[in-house]
Amino acid sequence: MKLEIRLFAGLRCGNPELPCYGQSECDLEVPEGTTIRELRTILAIDPAISLLSMVNNHHEHEEWVLKDNDRVGMFPPIGGG
Amino acid sequence: MDKIARIDMGAAGGPKVTMEEVGEYVGLGGRALTSLLIAKEVHPLCHALGAENKLVFAPGMLSGTAGAMTGRLSVGCKSPLTGTIKESNAGGQAAQVLARLGYAAIILEGKPASDDLYKIHVNKDGIQISVDNSLKLLDNYPLVDKLRKEYGDKVAYITIGTAGERKLLAASIACTDPELRPTRHCGRGGVGAVMGAKGVKAIILDDAGMKMRPPKEPEKYRDANRKFVEGLRKHPVTGEGLPAYGTNVLTNVLNEAGGYPTYNFKTGQFATSAKLSGEAQAELEIKRGGTATHGCHRGCVIQCSGIYNDKDGHYLTKQPEYETVWSHGGHCGIDDLDTVARLDFMDDNIGVDTIEMGVTIGVAMDAGIIEFGDKEGAIRLMEEVGKGTPLGRVLGCGAAVTGKVYGVERVPVVKDQALPAYDPRAIQGIGVTYATTTMGADHTAGYAIATNILKVGGDVDPLKTEGQVELSRNLQIATAAIDSTGMCLFIAFAIMDQPETFQALLDMLGAFYGITMTGDDVVALGKKVLSAERDFNARAGFTKQHDRLPRFFYTEPIAPHNQTFMMKDEELDEVFNW
Repeated sequence: MKLEIRLFAGLRCGNPELPCYGQSECDLEVPEGTTIRELRTILAIDPAISLLSMVNNHHEHEEWVLKDNDRVGMFPPIGGG
Repeated sequence: MDKIARIDMGAAGGPKVTMEEVGEYVGLGGRALTSLLIAKEVHPLCHALGAENKLVFAPGMLSGTAGAMTGRLSVGCKSPLTGTIKESNAGGQAAQVLARLGYAAIILEGKPASDDLYKIHVNKDGIQISVDNSLKLLDNYPLVDKLRKEYGDKVAYITIGTAGERKLLAASIACTDPELRPTRHCGRGGVGAVMGAKGVKAIILDDAGMKMRPPKEPEKYRDANRKFVEGLRKHPVTGEGLPAYGTNVLTNVLNEAGGYPTYNFKTGQFATSAKLSGEAQAELEIKRGGTATHGCHRGCVIQCSGIYNDKDGHYLTKQPEYETVWSHGGHCGIDDLDTVARLDFMDDNIGVDTIEMGVTIGVAMDAGIIEFGDKEGAIRLMEEVGKGTPLGRVLGCGAAVTGKVYGVERVPVVKDQALPAYDPRAIQGIGVTYATTTMGADHTAGYAIATNILKVGGDVDPLKTEGQVELSRNLQIATAAIDSTGMCLFIAFAIMDQPETFQALLDMLGAFYGITMTGDDVVALGKKVLSAERDFNARAGFTKQHDRLPRFFYTEPIAPHNQTFMMKDEELDEVFNW
């Protein structure tokens, strides 16, 4: 299935085997049933970073199962105001 | 901080200074001092621009010490914009210098009989007040440049621009940063108009010959401060995100969450918001020779600000904050950072609140004065404000006035103060704060975004009503207390997540004053402040019916979540029922 990936605030795809390596925006093919936790592994995002993930404008937890054409936004801890 | 200076601007024969002991306000600072004093001494039904109103400048409880992050200055009065009590605070150097000079507060009272414009010089020898009509109709940047020639660079300046002189309801009070730029503003509620009404154009603070305020228990204070700084550096928000990208790092996350008010609150996402993001802004600042990391006062370890240069590498403005980038950006359908930066400079220079002005321009766009997305048009409208034309005066009096003058129905205000950069339909918790805070719509009063969106200090679903009243209540109490310490509110990200950092803050307060300070004491202080503010507002005629959002938030669902504001009135009425 295909996902629309958006990485923010300095996050980048860290997997050199992916075409989006080093990028923060990409469309990516992943296996059916991929969870957010598995996606961050696929993207090789530093596991030490506590991620905030949004799927189609909703916050979701790491075990959330993604679906075809989902838009996934990932953020490191951020704040402001 | 053992003294209070009262300056009667309306005294016969000219302004008169009276010094007094700090008395019943001993141990208080910042918002606690301004609000308790205003609630006690100002008639709640007075005209905010009249002689009965008072304008209080108060450094925080820890300002002027060696403690990190202690540079917030509170300004309090009855607000000409909202009619409520008002506390508006800013960074910059003023709080540290005023505290070192020994003042718990300087209070401007009365009203001058003439049109003369005054400047107030405060140093170790006392307070001198003089007429200086050569300062008339100077905006903040040229005003500070002129004052520097007389008073030099080793001082802090508190000033108003032309908006304050004209007593416009969006007028701010500027405090200079370490480089003496008038970039840190007590923005909200028209406090600059009150300073203008008092006939005071500038306050010059010179702490030469003064020392830092000494703690009662110096070693304990030093140790607590060290742990506090370690906590701020360790937390990813205060130690990494804010220094790297500034507050505008929020643009993408609010847009992604569908809570980014766009085209005057018509939709919750802006298609080209990425062009306005903190990431894009930081990259541009660095590329042009500015910086994305800068502190607004000495002793700041978060460094959330920056320097924004123009295309030729010349200073244009300080790093526009998230709220500013939103109000002048997405809210108005503008996706150009250079335009936002120009407007930010104009706001600081004229001396107006960036939130109020951006929201007002969006309302003016809804009225058809200019089109959404019209960059040059937005700048022209700001020029009208700067010139003080009839249109400029209308706009400079904020969104509520502009909406009434032009017959606009969608006017995003509570108690006539413009909503900040988070849609309450997509983020219910912040709507509770907007509706109920004593200040009129104000995100900082109870920043539910932290827990609704950023998942700091817990996790409350932004799209549901459950837990929002308790969240807003607790945040409003905590904020009232933090606003009293002189601490920058951004410390909240670390102290909400890290108990040891909160304990370090308690230990700083305890060691400085030689007392034992507990979390319960902080809660009690926050409640005391809020109770005084609520009491003032009640006597000023505000009822629970004023603690509501404009009706369109209840009747117009917003994309992408297609939700309205769902909090029941009875729930809102429970916020202060503790």
